[in-house]
Amino acid sequence: MAWKKVCGVGDVEVNSVKLFDVEGVNVLVTNYGSGFRAIPPICPHMEEPLDVSGIVANCVLTCSKHLWAWDLRTEGMLGETEKPLKFYETREEDGALFVNMVEELVYDFDSEDDLDDDFFG
Amino acid sequence: MAARNHDQWMATPPLQKGEWIDSRVYTDYQIFEEENEKIFKNAWVPVCHESELSKPYDFRTTSIAREPIIVCRGPDNQVRAFLNVCPHRGMMIERRPSGSFFEGQPSGNPKRMTCMFHGWQFDMKGSCVYVSREKEGYQDRLCKDDVGLRRLRCEVKFGGFVWVNLNDKAPDLESWAGKPFECLRKSLEAEPLEVFHYHKAIVDTNYKLWHDTNCEFYHDFMHYHNRVTGFNDAYFARKNEAFDNGHIVVGTFEVNYDKYEGFESRASLSFPHLPPNQWYMIDLFPGINFNLRGSALRCDVVTPLGPNKTMIEFRGLGLKSDSKEDRMTRINHHNSIWGPFGRNLHEDLIGVQGQGNTMMPGTEPRRVLHGRQENQTIHDENGMRHYYDEWGKWLNRLPSSPDKPYAAASAVTAAE
Repeated sequence: MAWKKVCGVGDVEVNSVKLFDVEGVNVLVTNYGSGFRAIPPICPHMEEPLDVSGIVANCVLTCSKHLWAWDLRTEGMLGETEKPLKFYETREEDGALFVNMVEELVYDFDSEDDLDDDFFG
Repeated sequence: MAARNHDQWMATPPLQKGEWIDSRVYTDYQIFEEENEKIFKNAWVPVCHESELSKPYDFRTTSIAREPIIVCRGPDNQVRAFLNVCPHRGMMIERRPSGSFFEGQPSGNPKRMTCMFHGWQFDMKGSCVYVSREKEGYQDRLCKDDVGLRRLRCEVKFGGFVWVNLNDKAPDLESWAGKPFECLRKSLEAEPLEVFHYHKAIVDTNYKLWHDTNCEFYHDFMHYHNRVTGFNDAYFARKNEAFDNGHIVVGTFEVNYDKYEGFESRASLSFPHLPPNQWYMIDLFPGINFNLRGSALRCDVVTPLGPNKTMIEFRGLGLKSDSKEDRMTRINHHNSIWGPFGRNLHEDLIGVQGQGNTMMPGTEPRRVLHGRQENQTIHDENGMRHYYDEWGKWLNRLPSSPDKPYAAASAVTAAE
């Protein structure tokens, strides 16, 4: 276990996201009203930075680019969303928020296709 | 002869075939359209230099013959070119002149080209990677594999220039221009080059009049400083050499820069493998010029905008490895010849604009002479004769009488 302090519980407003640097790892914290979630900083769809394009309302995080959305209470996917979010384990203690940083969570993205460059050969 | 009346003015000059042309090649709208279609859509054009998109995901936009083009560098460091057109509804995909896709745009994501119109996205190889609400609208009738970008022939060559050809079946770049580049290849390819200067001029003249000026040095009579300090035996011995495909090379000679008032020798900064202070010039059909004056390389490229309107893009290049001090010296060398207060470029522009003023669409046809024969040396006009012979083949028009087909004329010549 490697519990790291991220921020104070008052540092992230209700229905918002905020980006923190946890010893060199970018962690996005969202306060959805009835709790906190800590996730990687980008959308698993197309690497969109969620501190810019993430919207939190009614306990749902939505990426405004292509409307992928996740229920922050259940961590489940909503609508047309095709990939789940990855979550860091969190706990609150003495007015601070901690994450269990075992390793940085990253998503797999499709690499560009392997069309060879002898395209017109 | 005294001044002439109209009939005398319009009479055929006492020169051989091919030593003069009819000014309608510069003024006719139909010919301008044919040049776009038959020449510029089939020729290799250096649209930029690879140092202008030095990092993965960097891009530049440009056009050839009205076709919008985007050039970008992939994560694999390869430079590729595409039509800058969305396969969905024909929207221009990228509107900036240059930039990077590494960061996302307001309507797109990082590392993708995004059409802002309906949010379709493409990777740096031109593959479609996202169609918004794909299944809902197209079910299984059309998928991303069906809607990739239009990829274009693109080669990075001859010193890192990015060459594009709109014709998938055009001859390869090496066979198109390898021969004229032989004289400078070692110098341009010894180490990476870098653009330190860019500007463009939109001039009221025909693009061929500009290229003519790059192909003949007789107009050194206009360049006062060249005339009073440059005319010497070595200068007059310089050769104009013709190559296949309408290209010419102006052979080198050693310039005594220290004889120019306020100038210094360029020997210490001459390009790799280039003897000190040498000066080469390569003129490629249909309107591209590479001009290496010892320490600084200039490349200019034309885009015809109308029979009487031409965009010329100028680039100045040095070595990527330049120290800050060497680079400043190189820029100074570049500007002292080709900058706004330099010796040459503004005078060249005055020359071609003056021609443009007398040869507008609708003006009476004039005879334009290029019949100087001086053993193919610097004031010979063989470069232009060679160019217009090539031009005639591409358009199947006789330059001295553009209503007549070139093919018929050459058949007559052969019969003679």
